[in-house]
Amino acid sequence: MPALEKFQEFANALDIIDDDDMRFEYIIDIGKKLKDEDFPQALRTPQNIMHGCMSQVWLLNQPKDGKNYFIGFSDAIIVKGLVSMMIKSFSGLTADELDALTVEHVQRLNLGALTTQRQIGMMAMLEHFKKLGHIAQNIRDNKETH
Amino acid sequence: MTDQGNIVKLRMGDNSLHAFDVEKVRLDFPILSEMVYNKPLVFLDSGASAQKPKVVIDAMDDVYRHYYANVHRGAHYLSQKSTDAFEDARVKVADFINAASPDEVVFTKNTTEAINLVAQSWGRKFLKAGDEVLVSEMEHHANIVPWQLLEQQIGIKVKVAPINDAGELLMDEFSKLLTASVKLVAITGCSNVLGTIVPVDQITQLAHAKNIPVLIDGSQSVVHQSVDVNALDCDFFIFTGHKLYGPTGVGVLYGKIDVLKSMPPYQGGGDMIETVSFDGTTFKEPPHRFEAGTPAIAEVIGLGAAIDYVNELGMDNIAAHEQDLLAYTTEKLKQIDGLRVFGNAKNKAGIFSFLVDGTHPFDVATILDRQGIAVRVGQHCAEPLMKRLGVDGTVRASMGLYNNTADVDALVSAINKAKEMLI
Repeated sequence: MPALEKFQEFANALDIIDDDDMRFEYIIDIGKKLKDEDFPQALRTPQNIMHGCMSQVWLLNQPKDGKNYFIGFSDAIIVKGLVSMMIKSFSGLTADELDALTVEHVQRLNLGALTTQRQIGMMAMLEHFKKLGHIAQNIRDNKETH
Repeated sequence: MTDQGNIVKLRMGDNSLHAFDVEKVRLDFPILSEMVYNKPLVFLDSGASAQKPKVVIDAMDDVYRHYYANVHRGAHYLSQKSTDAFEDARVKVADFINAASPDEVVFTKNTTEAINLVAQSWGRKFLKAGDEVLVSEMEHHANIVPWQLLEQQIGIKVKVAPINDAGELLMDEFSKLLTASVKLVAITGCSNVLGTIVPVDQITQLAHAKNIPVLIDGSQSVVHQSVDVNALDCDFFIFTGHKLYGPTGVGVLYGKIDVLKSMPPYQGGGDMIETVSFDGTTFKEPPHRFEAGTPAIAEVIGLGAAIDYVNELGMDNIAAHEQDLLAYTTEKLKQIDGLRVFGNAKNKAGIFSFLVDGTHPFDVATILDRQGIAVRVGQHCAEPLMKRLGVDGTVRASMGLYNNTADVDALVSAINKAKEMLI
């Protein structure tokens, strides 16, 4: 497993903040930094929607050389902050490395300030990454065998 | 009258004080002293489900501690006592809505079940393919989907009466839609999203003039004003206990006795039969015909206690207090730049659906929650209405009898904080 530098950076920052309201502000700030152009309107299609979220979430894998690089967006800013942390934390991994990520990784993103529903949403996002990773790997394997 | 009440009155430019002490009333609700994230709870989600006064909690506790047993069955002391309390609650409900007889009161588990009961029992007997059920654009899903099921099952049609931008039913359009093919009007008494109080008396008169029966979904309206089904002359009036400061798991279907008698059972089982044999079974008269199986005994008795409670406060006093608070809240929300309230009907209950420009409703609700303020967010089980309003969802603050101006001030301050954080 690679070092997961961005993941560590977020986890450490959230550890240092000892106030739930401040954690929210931190997540909102991250959300604000994810701009419209980071996930162009043209990509906000039904097939890129992650279902089951109360607000709209779009996720897309842009795999390269066997590694997965995610981009994502949401119309709600707090969710966008969470999406941003997740895509930055877990991009650059292979499908197997994504599979090795567990609930502990998500919890390390210090979710004390979040409701159960959002925690479930974060786990669903991780599972979605794994699914997208496998889809990319299958496409790659098929290309190699042909 | 406390300072808070006086403040409401003075700000409204009205010096007449009515007998409703909201600060005293608040003490009746134990949950209101709870802290949320170390902040005092501000509960503005009574439209989804209201909090319970101590008398309701105590009444249910009393059932289980002292006289719980199944009703309408045993010959023993406890069963007799629980049956008496259960049937006494039926009398309280009948008196509360001014039904002609307790026999016109059927206990269901909630509004949804009551509407489904009417659809599946009355609807399947009296409606046929091509008949229409007229609803409004602002119905809760509970008064849409049961009729859509009948569309699929027997080929009826659901017809929709439109509203204007203020959220008021367009009465001219409604009248035009009352054609010969309409065999039932099923309409809300008060919109759970917009707060619009619908003129159900006028609607009933219009429909009855054409011999069309009327069903009123009173879930929201029964909470905010006194209801007189006799004066209304509606054929069905439906509400749920948990929005009326009573327990969950109990709802009420009022039906005119002749109408109920004409309807076949909805569900079969114990307690609704006269005799059962493999050669044929006969059913009890209403209301028991529609109450198959063991009912929600403690909950029905709890609903009776809730009705005693609001009766003691006086529905007119509750309505006057809520109208004061409605005016105060409307004024306060107007002062927030970029805040849009959906629903500005002339006749309205204390329900505020809103959006803040440049923010997502889920974000606003989350920031409000962090400040101890409970509101609802989303589509409020009214997707067609959201489509009509051209939005994906709203934040909704809904008032109960225990809310005061301090709650409104806290809401306003929290919305301003949300704006600072999110924009």
